[in-house]
Amino acid sequence: MTLGACSREKEVAELLRKGQWLQACPAELEAHVAACRACSDLVLVTGSLQQARAHAASVAPLPPPGILWWRAQLRRRNANLERISRPVLGAQIFALAVTLLAAAGFVVANAPHGSSWWTWLEDLPRTLRLEALFPATLFHPTGGLWLLVPTLATLALLGGVAVYLGSEKQ
Amino acid sequence: MPTSWESVLPQLVAGDAPLVAHQPMDSDAFAGFYERSARSLWAYLARVSGDAALADDLMQESYVRFLCADHPEPHAGEGEVAGRKYLFRIATNLLRDHWRRPRAGSIEDLPEDFFSAPGNAALSDVKAMLGPAMKQMRPRDRQLLWLAYAEGYSHHEIATITGLASASIRLLLFRARRKMARLLREEGINQGRRV
Repeated sequence: MTLGACSREKEVAELLRKGQWLQACPAELEAHVAACRACSDLVLVTGSLQQARAHAASVAPLPPPGILWWRAQLRRRNANLERISRPVLGAQIFALAVTLLAAAGFVVANAPHGSSWWTWLEDLPRTLRLEALFPATLFHPTGGLWLLVPTLATLALLGGVAVYLGSEKQ
Repeated sequence: MPTSWESVLPQLVAGDAPLVAHQPMDSDAFAGFYERSARSLWAYLARVSGDAALADDLMQESYVRFLCADHPEPHAGEGEVAGRKYLFRIATNLLRDHWRRPRAGSIEDLPEDFFSAPGNAALSDVKAMLGPAMKQMRPRDRQLLWLAYAEGYSHHEIATITGLASASIRLLLFRARRKMARLLREEGINQGRRV
């Protein structure tokens, strides 16, 4: 396909770009445009679109630039906070993984010793003198400590989930 | 000297300090740039999309993204000219994203009446001037025609803005211009002659 380009298109385009079409156009060029399909298309389309541009620009409803400026500042700030908090979250996940691995290793290492290895846990309240703070029934071997610990753990877990969901929503 | 995150964090929380190494422009400079470029950007978005409300939204989003961009590209070398090109590039990408949403399926599959949606009072006169010619053009052709003949960008600049191959711009533009001229003549519009 040939593009049907005209050697005088640049000349016509330059006059159109400067807004001098017809005013500064020699009669000979005008006669050429009237006879040349490519040049007449160029004049017609450029004139129509420039007219449409001028009109649309005159009716453009523009918000104050300050609003856009502060929206951009807020978005930049949030993006930077997110960028900063990403490695912190990674460190937290890493720490949790290490803790779980250490706990698993500890359990595996002490499994051959039977259940006697965890008697220190039963003595922990007495070691920390917690009986002064809580009712004695809590520290009975079959008593409330084994109920209290999972309950507190569950509450901590649910609290963490609630905080996470809240921050995500925000 | 590198900045540690410990020193940046209080500034970030306070929100009163440069947040990234590259600060494109201050608020006064932006206000000036906005005054000089917003009308032509809105005209581009409104005429190419055929939807004044969409043009409002996309124009605001374009400026916010422009200000948030860390890339120094728009402000290096050519100054404001490059900034305007970068702004039009953002707007073009936003238009493309809008057209590519599942609602519209594809940029080429838009229903014709999408471009004559009601509620575009600001555009009604312009539509009357251009008639249905623009409506019958494909969105990509409208973009190319507007950038080339309303904004006066070169083929290379249009390629940069639209992401199309520079070599194909000439042919696409030629076909679009020929079709547009034919449609305008069918409407009885024949500018550029002395009367």
